[in-house]
Amino acid sequence: MRTERTARNYWIAVVGVLAAEAALLVWNVMHYDWLRGYDAYANDQYAATLADEHRLPSADDSGVWHTPPLWFALVGLLRRAVIEHGWGPPQRPGQLVAAAAGLAVCILVLLLARELWPQRRPLHLLALVFAAASPALVRASAMYHPETLAVALAAGGVLIAVHALHTRWTIWSSLGAGVLLGLAGLTRAWALPVLGAVAVAACLDAVNRRRWMPLAVLVATSLALIAPWLLNEQLAHGSALAFNRPAPTESILARRSASFYLGPRALRAVEHPVTPLFRNELVPHLYADWWGDWALTWDGPPPPGPGQLLPPSVVSVRARQTVIGLIPSLLALGGIVALGLLAIARRSTAIGLLPLAALAVAAAFTLFAVSYPSTDGDTIKGTYLLMALPTASVAFGFVVDALRPRGGGGAVLASAAVALFVAVQLPFLIL
Amino acid sequence: MAPRPLTDARAARLGLAVAAVLVGAQVVVAAGWSLTHDDPTVLELTERCLTREKGLTIEDTTGDSVAQSARGGTLRTIVEGNLVTLSVAASQDEVERLRVGYAAGDPGQRLDVRGRYVALWLRDPSPTQRQATYDCAY
Repeated sequence: MRTERTARNYWIAVVGVLAAEAALLVWNVMHYDWLRGYDAYANDQYAATLADEHRLPSADDSGVWHTPPLWFALVGLLRRAVIEHGWGPPQRPGQLVAAAAGLAVCILVLLLARELWPQRRPLHLLALVFAAASPALVRASAMYHPETLAVALAAGGVLIAVHALHTRWTIWSSLGAGVLLGLAGLTRAWALPVLGAVAVAACLDAVNRRRWMPLAVLVATSLALIAPWLLNEQLAHGSALAFNRPAPTESILARRSASFYLGPRALRAVEHPVTPLFRNELVPHLYADWWGDWALTWDGPPPPGPGQLLPPSVVSVRARQTVIGLIPSLLALGGIVALGLLAIARRSTAIGLLPLAALAVAAAFTLFAVSYPSTDGDTIKGTYLLMALPTASVAFGFVVDALRPRGGGGAVLASAAVALFVAVQLPFLIL
Repeated sequence: MAPRPLTDARAARLGLAVAAVLVGAQVVVAAGWSLTHDDPTVLELTERCLTREKGLTIEDTTGDSVAQSARGGTLRTIVEGNLVTLSVAASQDEVERLRVGYAAGDPGQRLDVRGRYVALWLRDPSPTQRQATYDCAY
């Protein structure tokens, strides 16, 4: 009887969180000026070129020509349909795709946690709430931008891979993971390190089980989807991973100053976490943009011109966000390390895949940010690390669940802390 | 003696310890830096720009209680023969306080409020004189 009631409460909580998240994301789409999102105008030009002229854009057509085309192809079709039928702003469907993908990420985080620890319901809910209340995900889900779709596709691929590593790879699971990861790679290049991590985990598993066919199918499927794009980039722009500006010719070690690596102004992130402070200081810049809105693209005024003042509330709301993020960030980071230790101790590639994927994404992002320094800091964005959100969410849930006091009092305490974590963020998350 | 098995709780504690070390290292670096360095203030940046890029001579502000009450500081310089007292406010409320403080003297065009800067000119400034101060706004 008690078990039934607990199960019912669990599902009520899951459905409640997902319904609230769906409402939040749709509300934000309706109230967010699409042009304020990252690269919004260039994204629209890309989608229009694909839909209207049936070709990839050149550098003259769109500043994001280097981004893989899947989201633009999908949004371009929707855009054209909206224009033809006069249904409203042509960019709105693109924002709704981003919101739907953001919700899908939350569902996939829940499923990942359930796959790894089916009996630990508090862990599932903690992971779900962490993902749903992550400001970087909520902001990206309102933008006219492909990031959340890529994360959702990659998280789907990781979920299938974790299930296969937990049980046994089959041709179908290899095919499924390969297709989803390949499509993720066709949406954003940030999915490629995740694909690499899945391939490494599948390889380790293949060595243990002496079964190589699933790995071959996984790699072949994903490559079949991504290779044409990468080949096109190589032939047209001289690099399979071309970016919209040339990398400096100097040594990669000389491209960033010591402050990039050391973050000397990190303490100011809790007091004034907006541009231009600690610009191009990797950790504080990224942290402030993940939990808040460093570049001022969310609900406040755009970055002020020289000599102009920001309304104090704009800074204080973002400063509050960076303070709120301190403990969850510590728990998530600790959780990622814990999952890595656990994977090694238990020889579990299923658990190990998550920290491996996060590590691969972090390494790829750092390499990118070092390779392409920019004076305005536009190559450092919290949303670029969203590929690591599924791991961070599960890791957060794991640590809190492992260390929370047992019994009714512990559950109440954990629930109250999580509720507080969400409640204090709502004024920032709701537009 | 067999090693202790790695329970979930132990893994979580170890992970948190590693995370705390990483975060602690960042805090130590930042604290050490902030104790030994001062980022230039808006006033210092403005002063540096007026001196280096406009070739002006900077003086301390004296005899102007309104400017001297500005939390961001104040300076005086002469642009194309016109003396200007520049004050840097720290907030919109302070900008308004400085403006009201000067308004009692009916400065007319001599008072120029732009963003965080409140400028009181000795005579009505020309467009190029104003532009020189705008160019050095931060």
